[in-house]
Amino acid sequence: MNDSGPGPAKVEISFAVNGETKTVRSYPMERLLDVLRRDLGLTGAKEGCGEGECGSCAVLMDGMLVNSCLVPVLQAEASSIVTIEGLSDGETLHILQQAFIDCGGAQCGICSPGMILAASHLLNQNADPTVEEIREGLAGNLCRCTGYSQIVEAVAEAARRRTSA
Amino acid sequence: MRSNPSDYEMTALPSLHSTVSLLAREPGVWLPIAGGTDVMVQYAAGKLPARKLVSIWNLPELRRIDVTASEIQIGAGCTYTDLRRHAVVGHEFPLLRSAAGWTGGIANQNRGTIGGNIVNASPAADSLPALLVYEAELILISARGERRISYANFHTGYKKTLLAPDELIQTVCLPRRFLEYYSHTRKVGTRKAQAISKVAIAALGRITDGVIEDVRIAVGSVAPVPLRLKDTEQALNGRAVDATLLLLARRTVAAEIRPIDDIRSTVRYRAAVTGNLVVEFLNRLNLAQAGAERSEANDVLAQWNRLPADEAINAVLPCCGSRAWAEGMVARRPLADEAELLTASNETWRKVSPSDWMEAFRSHPRIGEKKPVMGSSAPGQSVEWSSQEQRDVTDADAAAKTALAEANREYERRFNRIFIVCATSKSAVEILEILRRRLKNGVETELHEAAEQQRQITELRLRKWLQG
Repeated sequence: MNDSGPGPAKVEISFAVNGETKTVRSYPMERLLDVLRRDLGLTGAKEGCGEGECGSCAVLMDGMLVNSCLVPVLQAEASSIVTIEGLSDGETLHILQQAFIDCGGAQCGICSPGMILAASHLLNQNADPTVEEIREGLAGNLCRCTGYSQIVEAVAEAARRRTSA
Repeated sequence: MRSNPSDYEMTALPSLHSTVSLLAREPGVWLPIAGGTDVMVQYAAGKLPARKLVSIWNLPELRRIDVTASEIQIGAGCTYTDLRRHAVVGHEFPLLRSAAGWTGGIANQNRGTIGGNIVNASPAADSLPALLVYEAELILISARGERRISYANFHTGYKKTLLAPDELIQTVCLPRRFLEYYSHTRKVGTRKAQAISKVAIAALGRITDGVIEDVRIAVGSVAPVPLRLKDTEQALNGRAVDATLLLLARRTVAAEIRPIDDIRSTVRYRAAVTGNLVVEFLNRLNLAQAGAERSEANDVLAQWNRLPADEAINAVLPCCGSRAWAEGMVARRPLADEAELLTASNETWRKVSPSDWMEAFRSHPRIGEKKPVMGSSAPGQSVEWSSQEQRDVTDADAAAKTALAEANREYERRFNRIFIVCATSKSAVEILEILRRRLKNGVETELHEAAEQQRQITELRLRKWLQG
């Protein structure tokens, strides 16, 4: 699979993204974030800090929330990735996306994809979180507009809608 | 300056065996990378000297936790999330569970590993003081074989360790003999969470008849390595906790630590706070004895029994906003279980004065509103509980909400305080009915009816509080 010639070479790496199998040719130390955005055209994950502090590049890898800026793409081999683009079902918004809109949780939008994926990771493990648990679940996601109250409210609202649906 | 990925070679091998073989062939050339929460940060900053990396993420041999009769064996590739979810870690090693829970946000807890934390060897690492006091041992593996060493000897200097270039940490072993110890941990950083520590402490202790039998104290961020305070421990063992001992503790701690000035803190601050943290631990250890003598079915209650009075008051204030009530509750400690707690609450509530009742009433928002009325500083937990209790009201339609707001105003004009009702699972319409009925009450009758409603609210909140 390696390119001929000396030194580091690109390799083929296959993984599922939002349910579709993708194969990319990449240097193994490329960041998953760059592969998603540049090679696969999925620009929902954003680069904020580039060092795992802000959560704006968060995606789900095998169901676990990860910062894609800290994942060398080789480690994504054979995994299943979900990005914000894969959360909704066709034209219908995901319950969290709708709640973010209704509660004013999406401001400038940079943090929203990571926030929503972090919230979805939380709700998958805890269907009825307290405000404190929501805050902890989102603690690694920074909102540069500082609109945290509406974001926490949006997650609580999504949890209510989900349990009453 | 960002690194160029074409400068880096990386491989992932299927087993621990093949990985250590690679390390043996070219010792020191291949940098192991697990969840990347440290290595990728250096890479992003263009400061990663290694050019060849071998992934050990998700190697099955490193990602298992085995529990034997005498110890828990944690694979070095286990993440903080793995640790937080493990029942034995949670029950027998609370210091490690706490540290895992405050290491970064959830995404980093899902990727950061215990082995990575040890090898990265930061003196500020959150989980390392806990490993020191639990007397961890490490199993190191290489193609040459395995060796088992005491973790206490692992860090030899700032970012220097005993790990050979061809070696990996395979397992972190913790002996299961600390269940009976009182444990205490605290991290002091710039913020409450998501900040690297300025000073951190992890400590265990046993005390009998006021005399310290055995203490173990480790601190982070105050020396080139995570530091066990052996001299201080020795000075404390066998002594009674009193003012003289606390002074002695401060002196030995100051002599033992080696803090520096850096971007996060200063020598002076770190020295003072380390002393404070050790004294806080000893005070709590001493208080813990009173609580420990009774069987305590509930963790929240057990911890609360041991808190200093002012902290204990603040802890129960969200359940009922009367300070006199909270002080009365704290005076009745230790409380053994839920039944004792609720009895104490009901009796205390009956004894406090109507002006104390009023203080509790003021800590609530109006029915249909979120924030308490002016002049009250209700704790965040109280505000959150109010909104849960009023969930069914919040969902009401606009007409019902308007009617409720009007009736609220009428009530406030008549009784000169906000309307108190135990709103849990009552709809807006039901509450409106109750409100209209109570508007017809005499002043004295209504005061007692409101107090009874507050008693019910307090009871529900105390139950929630016990659930942690």
